[in-house]
Amino acid sequence: MISRFRQFFQHLYARWLAYRLPPARQVQLNTRSLFIFPSRAGFSFLLLIVLCWLVATNYENNLVFGITCLLTAIFVVAILHSFANLSGLNLSCSRVSPGHAGHPLTIELVFHQSGKRLRENLILAFAGHEPVAIGIAATEEARVKLGFVPASRGLIDPGRLRVASLYPLGLFKVWTQIDLDIRCLVYPAPQTELNRQTTVSPVGGDDGLIVEVFEGGEDFTGLSDYRPGDSPKRIAWKQFAREQGLYTKHYGSAQDERLWLDWDAFPGLDTEARLSRLCGLLLSIVPLDIPYGLKLPGLIIAPNITDSHRLQVLRELALFGLPDRGGDR
Amino acid sequence: MTSPVWKIHRNGLFWLLVAFAAVIILHADHLPNWILLAAFVAIIWRIQLYRSAWHPPSRLIKTGLLGLCLAGLVAEYGSPVGLEPMVALLVSAYLLKLLEMHHRRDAYLVIFLAFFITALDALFDQSIGNTLYIIGCLLLVLAALLGLHGSDGNEGQLRPLGKAMTIMAQALPLMLLLFILMPRLGALWSVPMQQQSAKTGVTDTMSPGDFSRLGRSGELAFRVSFEDAIPSQKSLYWRGLVLAEFDGRTWSRSSLSRFQDSNLVQWYGDPPKSWDQVVDRKGEPLTFSVVIEPTQQRWLYALDTPKPDSEGVGLTRDYRLISAHPLRSKKQYRASSWPEYRLEPQGLSSQHRAVYLQLPEEFNPRTRELANRWRKSVSGDPELVSRVMALYNSEFVYTLQPPLLGKHSVDEFLFDSQRGFCEHFAGSFVFFMRAAGIPARVVAGYQGGERHPDDYLVVRQYDAHAWAEIWLEDRGWVRVDPTAAVAPQRIEQDLQSVLGDETDFLADSPVSLVRFRHIGWLNQLRLQIESLNYNWALWVLSYDQIQTAFLRNLLGDNSPWRIALALTGVGGGLLLLLGVWMLLPRRSERSRDQLDREFLRLCQKLEKAGFPRQVGEGPRDYTQRVAGSRPELARQLVEVTRMYETMRYAGETPDARTLARTIHSLRINRSG
Repeated sequence: MISRFRQFFQHLYARWLAYRLPPARQVQLNTRSLFIFPSRAGFSFLLLIVLCWLVATNYENNLVFGITCLLTAIFVVAILHSFANLSGLNLSCSRVSPGHAGHPLTIELVFHQSGKRLRENLILAFAGHEPVAIGIAATEEARVKLGFVPASRGLIDPGRLRVASLYPLGLFKVWTQIDLDIRCLVYPAPQTELNRQTTVSPVGGDDGLIVEVFEGGEDFTGLSDYRPGDSPKRIAWKQFAREQGLYTKHYGSAQDERLWLDWDAFPGLDTEARLSRLCGLLLSIVPLDIPYGLKLPGLIIAPNITDSHRLQVLRELALFGLPDRGGDR
Repeated sequence: MTSPVWKIHRNGLFWLLVAFAAVIILHADHLPNWILLAAFVAIIWRIQLYRSAWHPPSRLIKTGLLGLCLAGLVAEYGSPVGLEPMVALLVSAYLLKLLEMHHRRDAYLVIFLAFFITALDALFDQSIGNTLYIIGCLLLVLAALLGLHGSDGNEGQLRPLGKAMTIMAQALPLMLLLFILMPRLGALWSVPMQQQSAKTGVTDTMSPGDFSRLGRSGELAFRVSFEDAIPSQKSLYWRGLVLAEFDGRTWSRSSLSRFQDSNLVQWYGDPPKSWDQVVDRKGEPLTFSVVIEPTQQRWLYALDTPKPDSEGVGLTRDYRLISAHPLRSKKQYRASSWPEYRLEPQGLSSQHRAVYLQLPEEFNPRTRELANRWRKSVSGDPELVSRVMALYNSEFVYTLQPPLLGKHSVDEFLFDSQRGFCEHFAGSFVFFMRAAGIPARVVAGYQGGERHPDDYLVVRQYDAHAWAEIWLEDRGWVRVDPTAAVAPQRIEQDLQSVLGDETDFLADSPVSLVRFRHIGWLNQLRLQIESLNYNWALWVLSYDQIQTAFLRNLLGDNSPWRIALALTGVGGGLLLLLGVWMLLPRRSERSRDQLDREFLRLCQKLEKAGFPRQVGEGPRDYTQRVAGSRPELARQLVEVTRMYETMRYAGETPDARTLARTIHSLRINRSG
């Protein structure tokens, strides 16, 4: 019951936040975006003020009364100082380094301020992540790198960034939860432990490097009539299904130096598992310096070896089958 | 937000320990020595903990230390009730907690305790010097609180102190406003009293040796400003207590005199009681205002014969002033005195007569016998008085170091030792008078005082004095001071002029500047400090009396509770208005949001047409990309973007409606 209530209120809060602080590339921290409330220590401080007031009143002591007034005034002034520690900062996200699902990637944030004020002890955190405390020197611009561990591949929204501060007295917590409209390109989690069949090893040969990826060769070269004794694994079931007859698929020996990262190489696995394996394969191939291509359902990228090619392949792996592709490229 | 294992950083610890040491030193004068030692050990231990050189105290050691502290406190103070034991207990908790800071909240507790303990010191000493020290302590504790939240590092070592000063300075105006306006409600319940100060000042009993003890102290008793000139020194008899009961050794208040709230006190503002008619006040009164140091007692001091002019002050049946509450802190009161008076000249009731003639049977036979003999040989009461005074004058010595007296104290003093201080003279005189059948009583209080160049009077503990009052036919109560017969300078000047050379004089105040009155510049300095402290006491420490009058003028005759309620209401209302004003979105901000919304509509339109916005694409890049593939829209898109950018960022007056119209007029067909 209570948890349902809590869920309800969290939902309300999230909706209200989305209304009040809509996603934006750049957010200025000001009265609109900052929230402030006494911290637990702040409430204890109020208790201290009440205690001092009781002593002052009961002992009819004007000096203690003065101290009580001073503490109260400090409490009020602390509101302004707490607010000032965050106010006036402009936040934006300057760069997101791509990464793999389940592995930390870095989101670089830019703090920009028109004045030069020292900001102490800002606590930054994405939901579900360890908070990071930083200070911003008295400069106009500061860059801060923040880790983020995406759970899945795709174009991931890290959610709202929580920026909080207890400075200077810890009596007030000032915070905001802003959506900087960040999208992180997240590649599949690399699955390097493939299976028995799919070891990748460089093998020395006469004509250079030979990579033996799959048992029996790696490249599909053609079909021939089925002869009894052929491995059932090599039956071209597709053609059989189309009632074109029974054929056996033939694979060339590992003479071809080009390598295909092939979706079909992992029969029986689901999409994510295949993408993970393809990604892991890719990572282990890259240091070998041989051209490789990608075959996904509906997409073939010709083998190449350049860096941009690698990024394109990774991007396709990241976005395969997802509706939100962040526009064509 | 706090990580499970919290460790205070170097800067934070530095300020925490500085503040700790300052707070302990602040209280050092009323803490037992072993607590000071323990505090020192705690500081060392805490530093070693930080350096990981020593281990934190185990649960066993902690329990042991707590037990040790409690045992020490019980041994030191006996009862836990009282201000000193309470402060000592808090200080022990403070230093034990210092060793046990595992979380940030522990550090908060340590710091809040420091604030509270610092504030409590104001109950002990409210002089300007101590106030400055208290403010310094608050500043350091504030710096410690700042140090907890600031960053670590060598270059920022002093930053918390600087920031604390800024915050304190900014808090000052609001503090003054609160101090001036917040009503004082008066004690809500009775609180434990200070034990120490009960030791100084005039008490409600008088035994041989009591007043000579006061002669050892240069502490302040009270200060008086007169509306007109200060009267002559020898008329300054500050009546405080009337002691009528004698048990053979000690004079104390009679049961009659322990008026609480009966018919025998006439409070300021009450209609006159019937017994007020028996005093015959003549001439012009002297009006004066007294700022009295806390005595933890209810009696006040005034010249004969007084009438109160302040709220909460009353006149008793034996013509003294009392306060409605014990004096827990400095208090200011006004009173008028008629130096020419006749007190109960019409005669004493038989009940009163019996009280003022009461003597214990079995004491002082020689004095009784002498009194009887003299009674028969003189013609009237005045002659008997002169004879006794002549006796004092011829044989007796006035000294702060009188010999100890045995069972028949009056006999031994009058016939054997003949050396004594005012209590010996007053006591023996009243005894003699009673033995001779004249109603008499001892009056205790202060006599004289030091005239400050700023035209007020400073009365110190060594001005404490006891004298006698006897009742004479047709004249009523008459003041007789036997001390004046033996040491007239004591009355005409002060104690120092008579006994300044005695080693016991000011023996309890070894560094008192009063000692060095003869050194010109030091005396100047002393008088200036004294004047500063008096004004401090007059305007700040007894501000509540000023405030009561001032609020009454401002708001009419209201109870403090109603004033408090009204002020809170007004303050709360103002805060609420301020909050509403701050929460209402600014006009420019609102229209800026509208601009964003319109631009978002454009994005949606373009997305429908097959041009979704990409990650990290700014408005200009986006529209340019679309314009590249749809040249027929280029002109309009550039126009919209320019409009949006200038309104949104270049500070041009936002006009969301024009932007909306332009975007609306954009007709985009689906591409491809």
